Amino acid sequence: MNYSLLTVEILTALLGLGVLLLDLWIPATSRKLLGIIAATGLGVLLVYAIGSAAPGDGTAFGGMFVVDALSGYAKGFFLVAGLIVLLLSIDSADTIHGYAEYCALILFALTGMLFAASANDFVLMFVALELITVTFYILVSFQRNRLSSLEAGVKYLILGALASGFMVFGIALIFGSANTTNFYEISTAQTALIKSPVFLTGILLTLVGLGFKIAAFPFQIWAPDVYQGAPALTTSFLATGSKAAGFVLLARVAFEAVPELTAARGHLFLGIGSITILYGSLCAIPQRSVKRLMGYSSIANAGYLLLGFGAASLAGGSAVLAYLGGYIFTVLAAFIGIQVVVSHQESDDISAFAGLARRSPWMAASLTVGLVSLAGIPPLAGFFGKLMILKAVAVQVGTSPMVILSLLVAVLGVVVGLYYYLGVLRSVYWPRSVSDLSPIPVSGTTKLALIFAVLGTVLIGVLPETTYQGARQAVAGLATPKSPATPASPPSATTQAAK
Amino acid sequence: MPEFTDLLFYGFAGLALFFGFLCVANPLSRSPVTSAMFLVLTIVSLAGLFILLHAFFLAAIQVLVYAGAVMVLFLFVIMLLDLKEEERRRFRRFTVGVGVVAVGVIAGLLLQTVLKAVPYSQTSTVLAVGATRPLGIILFTQYLLPFELLSLLLLVAMVGVILLTKKELK
Repeated sequence: MNYSLLTVEILTALLGLGVLLLDLWIPATSRKLLGIIAATGLGVLLVYAIGSAAPGDGTAFGGMFVVDALSGYAKGFFLVAGLIVLLLSIDSADTIHGYAEYCALILFALTGMLFAASANDFVLMFVALELITVTFYILVSFQRNRLSSLEAGVKYLILGALASGFMVFGIALIFGSANTTNFYEISTAQTALIKSPVFLTGILLTLVGLGFKIAAFPFQIWAPDVYQGAPALTTSFLATGSKAAGFVLLARVAFEAVPELTAARGHLFLGIGSITILYGSLCAIPQRSVKRLMGYSSIANAGYLLLGFGAASLAGGSAVLAYLGGYIFTVLAAFIGIQVVVSHQESDDISAFAGLARRSPWMAASLTVGLVSLAGIPPLAGFFGKLMILKAVAVQVGTSPMVILSLLVAVLGVVVGLYYYLGVLRSVYWPRSVSDLSPIPVSGTTKLALIFAVLGTVLIGVLPETTYQGARQAVAGLATPKSPATPASPPSATTQAAK
Repeated sequence: MPEFTDLLFYGFAGLALFFGFLCVANPLSRSPVTSAMFLVLTIVSLAGLFILLHAFFLAAIQVLVYAGAVMVLFLFVIMLLDLKEEERRRFRRFTVGVGVVAVGVIAGLLLQTVLKAVPYSQTSTVLAVGATRPLGIILFTQYLLPFELLSLLLLVAMVGVILLTKKELK
C-alpha cells in the first residue's frame, strides 16, 4: 500500500490533533502562540505539498484514494486558503472563546477538503464531505453568545443534514445499479449505466448533495443567512474551501465518473447556472449587510462555475478550475477587509465601512482588490476566470439555444455585479457621512495574510497562463484511466498524457 | 406442522404489527412518550425478523442505533417540546388524507414486489452479503480509508458538542 501518497492529509490531521493537545500546556495569556504554530505548520506543509506535487501520481487503498494533477492542483489552493484563514485568526485569539479548538477545527475541515480532492470513490467522497460539513456546523455556530451565529448554525445543520440524506440515498442507488462506488469502475461501464433510470436518479440525488455545498439553485437558500450569521472568519473559509471542495468533487464526478452523461446533459448545467447567476445577482442589489452581500455574490459565482460545466469540454473544465483558483484568493482578499472591520466595528453594515480608505489604507486596498476582482474588472483574477468560462461556453454557440441564453444571463450578471460590488467601494472611498475616522490598527499577521491574498489575486490575473495550464492538466488527467491495479506512474508519463 | 422458525416469524411479525398499531393509534393513551415506547417495541420485534433472515449485524444495529440512540433523541425532543397541545388535538382531514395516500402508495409498491418475488431458495445466497463477517472484511479492506476517516469525523463531533454545550467559556 502506498501510504506516502497520504502524507499531506495525515500531517494536517496530526497538526490539528497537536494544536488541540497543546492547548493543555500553553497558558491562556499566550493563546496567539497556538495560531502561530498552526499557521507555521501549515506553511511548511504547503511548501512540502507544492514541492512534491509532481512526483508520485498514483492510487492507494484499492483505487479509493487518488493522487493526480487535479488533486495536486486543488490541494495547493486548499492549503493556501487554510493558511490565510489561520493567519487572519491570530488577531482574534483573545476574543474567540476556545481558540485552540477553533484552529483545530479549521485544520480538520482542511483535512476533509484534502481528502475530498483525492476522493476517487463515492463513499470516500461522502465521508470527506461530511467531515467538512460537520466541522462547519460547529465553526458557524462558534460565537454561541451571539444569537445570529447560533441561528445560522442551526439552519446550516438542518439543511445540511437534508442534503446529506439526499446524497447518501443517491449513492445507494448508484451502488445498486453499478455494483461499485469507484469512479473509475463506473466510468468503464458508463455507456450502459447512463441508460438506467435508477443510475440517473442516483447521480441526480448526488448532485443535489453537491449542489448544496456549492450553493447552486435551488439549494442556495441557506447561503445568505449562514454567511451573514457566521463569524466572518468562518464565512471566509466556508466561501472558499468548502465551496471549492464541492466544485472539485463535481469536476471529478462530471469529468471522470460520467463524462458521457455530462456531455449529453450539458444544457442542464447551463440552465441551473443561469438561474443561479440571476438569483444571486438580483438578490444582492438591495443588501446592506456586506456579509450577506457576499453570500449572494457566492451564489452568483457558483452560477458562473456551473456554466463552465455546461460547456462540457476540456476548455470548460479547465476554465472552472482556473476560475476557482482565482476565486479563492479573491474572496479571501475581500474577507480580510470584512473580518477586520467586523471585529473592530461589531457590525457589517455598509455604513460601518464608511471612510475605510482613510481609517486603514491596508484594509481598503485588500477589500478593493477583492471586490474589483469579483466584479470581473481586468487585470485581476476574477476577470480572467470569467473570460475563460464565457469563452468556453461561447464556442458551443449553435448547439443549443440554451447557450446563447446563458451567455446573455452571464453578461447581465457581470453588469449587475458591477453595481453592487462598487456600491461597497463607494462607501469605502467616498462615504456620504462619516462619524468615526479613527485609524484601525492592523497587525503583522493580518498584513501577511493580506499580502498572500492580494498577491495571488493580482498574479493570477496578470499571469494567467500558469494557472490555466495547471487547470488544463488537471482536467486532462481525469480522462486517463486510474485502475486500482495500475502502479504509481512516473511523473513524465502523466504530463505527456496531459498534453 | 409448521417449523419452529415459521412460528417465530409469525410471532415477531404479529408483535411488530401490534406494537406498530399501538404506536400510532393507542386507544388508552395519547401521550407521545407512550407512543415512543411502543415504537421501541416495534423496532425490537423487527430486529427479531432480521435475525430470522440471518442478518445478525443488521439486527444488532437495529437495536443499538434505532432502539437505543435514535429513540433517546426522540424522547429528548418530546420532553423538550411541550406537547400538551398535540395530545388534545383530534385528527384533521388533511392529515388523514395524506396518510391514506401514503399508505396506499406503499401498499401498492409492496403488492407489486410480492407479486414479482421469486421463491426463497433462489435468492438465499445473496443474503450472506449482509452478514457480520463479510461486512467486517469489506469494511477493513476495501472501505478502510473512509472507515478510518470517520474516526476523525466523530472526534470533530465530540469537540463540537463539548464546545457548544460547555457551561462556562474562558
